[in-house]
Amino acid sequence: MPGADKETDLTERIEAFLADLKRGGSGTGPLRGSGEMARETTYLLRRITAQARWSSAGDLMEIIRNEGRRMTAAQPSETTVGNMVRRVLKIIREEYARSRGSSEETEQQESLHKLLTAGELSEENFRQHFVHLKANVIEAINELLTELDGTTDNIAMQALEHIHSNEVIMTVGRSRTVEAFLKDAARKRKFHVIVAECAPFCQGHEMATGLSKVGIETTVIADAAIFAVMSRVNKVIIGTQTVLANGGLRAVNGTHSVALAARHHSTPLIICAPMFKLSPQVFTTIFYPFPGSFSYCLPVLREILSKVNVHCPVFDYVPPELITLFISNIGGNAPSYIYRLMSELYHPEDHKL
Amino acid sequence: LDETQVRQDPEVPSAVAAIRTLLEFLKRDQSETILGLRENLTQTIRRLEEADSSVAVSSGGELFLRFISLTSLEHPDLSQCKKVMVERGELFLKKISLSRSKVAKLCHTFIKDGAKILTHSSSRVVLKVLESAAADKKRFTVYVTESQPDSAGRQMADKLQNLNIPVTVVLDAAVGYIMEKVDLVIVGAEGVVESGGIINKIGTYQLAVCSKAHNKPFYVVAESFKFVRLYPLNQQDVPERFKYKADTLKAVEDLAEEHPMIDYTPPSLITLIFTDLGVLTPSAVSDELIKLYL
Repeated sequence: MPGADKETDLTERIEAFLADLKRGGSGTGPLRGSGEMARETTYLLRRITAQARWSSAGDLMEIIRNEGRRMTAAQPSETTVGNMVRRVLKIIREEYARSRGSSEETEQQESLHKLLTAGELSEENFRQHFVHLKANVIEAINELLTELDGTTDNIAMQALEHIHSNEVIMTVGRSRTVEAFLKDAARKRKFHVIVAECAPFCQGHEMATGLSKVGIETTVIADAAIFAVMSRVNKVIIGTQTVLANGGLRAVNGTHSVALAARHHSTPLIICAPMFKLSPQVFTTIFYPFPGSFSYCLPVLREILSKVNVHCPVFDYVPPELITLFISNIGGNAPSYIYRLMSELYHPEDHKL
Repeated sequence: LDETQVRQDPEVPSAVAAIRTLLEFLKRDQSETILGLRENLTQTIRRLEEADSSVAVSSGGELFLRFISLTSLEHPDLSQCKKVMVERGELFLKKISLSRSKVAKLCHTFIKDGAKILTHSSSRVVLKVLESAAADKKRFTVYVTESQPDSAGRQMADKLQNLNIPVTVVLDAAVGYIMEKVDLVIVGAEGVVESGGIINKIGTYQLAVCSKAHNKPFYVVAESFKFVRLYPLNQQDVPERFKYKADTLKAVEDLAEEHPMIDYTPPSLITLIFTDLGVLTPSAVSDELIKLYL
């Protein structure tokens, strides 16, 4: 029967995606950028909306929330998955409110104003059925996908405002967003780039190759030399894995040291991060150690490896005080403004899936 | 009527008691016009402040006045307006009685197993947060400052011991000494000002400066009705009627001889503020106040 086939097809796809997520984290699968991860998640959520059986917005939100929980559990360090789930949940809430005819503003955030003027304890349970809700939600998700497609270009378009001629820019490791940003500026300006190689995976080397292919003068330095070179640097431009709710970052290991060196020399620290990396989490002390083995990094110590514990955290926390500016696809913002952007993207009840 | 309400229930925050009193007053008020009602209410608030000059009463009073103005804009007819006001007032009281639990639910996840927490003086909200964390089977130890001149810290320590939480009382002067052992600092607030800073028992500012110097997170837990429309730039800007107890203000001639009971902590020293409206960075506080008052 076609109905059952669609269901099994959907569950198969979800299982395949979850398996991919789990593999992607252990380094053996294809290493994917978070942009692709976000796009794949959104495609899957659109498919769930189209194919799963639901009669009211509440049901759909439950289904998506459950799938979202499974996806974040499969790979906790990949926060873009959870962010996309929350965006879609907010889209559903908005479409529901619009169908009901009530203005979007009043339903959304808690505020002192709401506490004082609300008529009755509003129990919003999303049980009403609307005929066009499915179509509206799918259209809104398509808009979200268009936005996702355009993020890197939107960020790169702002490059000329921030990079001036004959400047020395420092960056760390490899970020697709920063690469596009610098390449866009290189079309009209001449500047130098210093790339910190970011051991042990030395992704900085790939970054340097990519940049020099378009004619940017690039220098690769060891991580230990970051402080020494910082006095010659005009700006530090880096990417990040996640932007946290307080304006801090969860970025690749070594970023905190770069931020401190930049603060010491009063060098501005600019973060290029698309909006889908913004996560409602706040800094916790749990970081996700890379589960691979590191014997290849330390060939000399092979004999004593059994007696040695090797820890290699993948991520670093950078507090918001060290950051000067966030450049995202919707423009430049100060770290203290991140809470506001977050309240526009996600509903407070969805913060905890 | 007024004073008995205020001193009645030690568990109820003074702002809530103030609002309850004002609501009672509203029910019994005989005025014919909204303006008359507002004038009577303003007078009552002033009398309440004379009885208990804390920031919380002032913020509760202003919130209530704002509530009256908002409602009267919607219903120009006085008797209908009054009915709506009383209804909403009861609802508001019900909601804010839940706010302490909401704050506790948000905050206790920030307390990790094995954490050492430093707190200042006695705060019912902090107590609730620590209670929730203990109920969540987390193990942590607490240091409480003694908080002179009323030794409120000792009462806090007793309450914590009743919850089987290991607690140590430290001298106010020992804050710098103990700071290296501590993982995080959690304090309550008597008022949260527009800049995102807080007004709290004297000694809080010191605690905040110390924790900043040691890079320890400084968390504030406060319910949303404590948001107050003040913007102090330094300690002197805080109005005198908040700094001293009501009896002191009436009795003493020269306030320069008196010790203030509260101080102001600027937002640059605060990491996060936990309220029933969510986890806010200090810059988000003014946003909330704008949404309410403008």
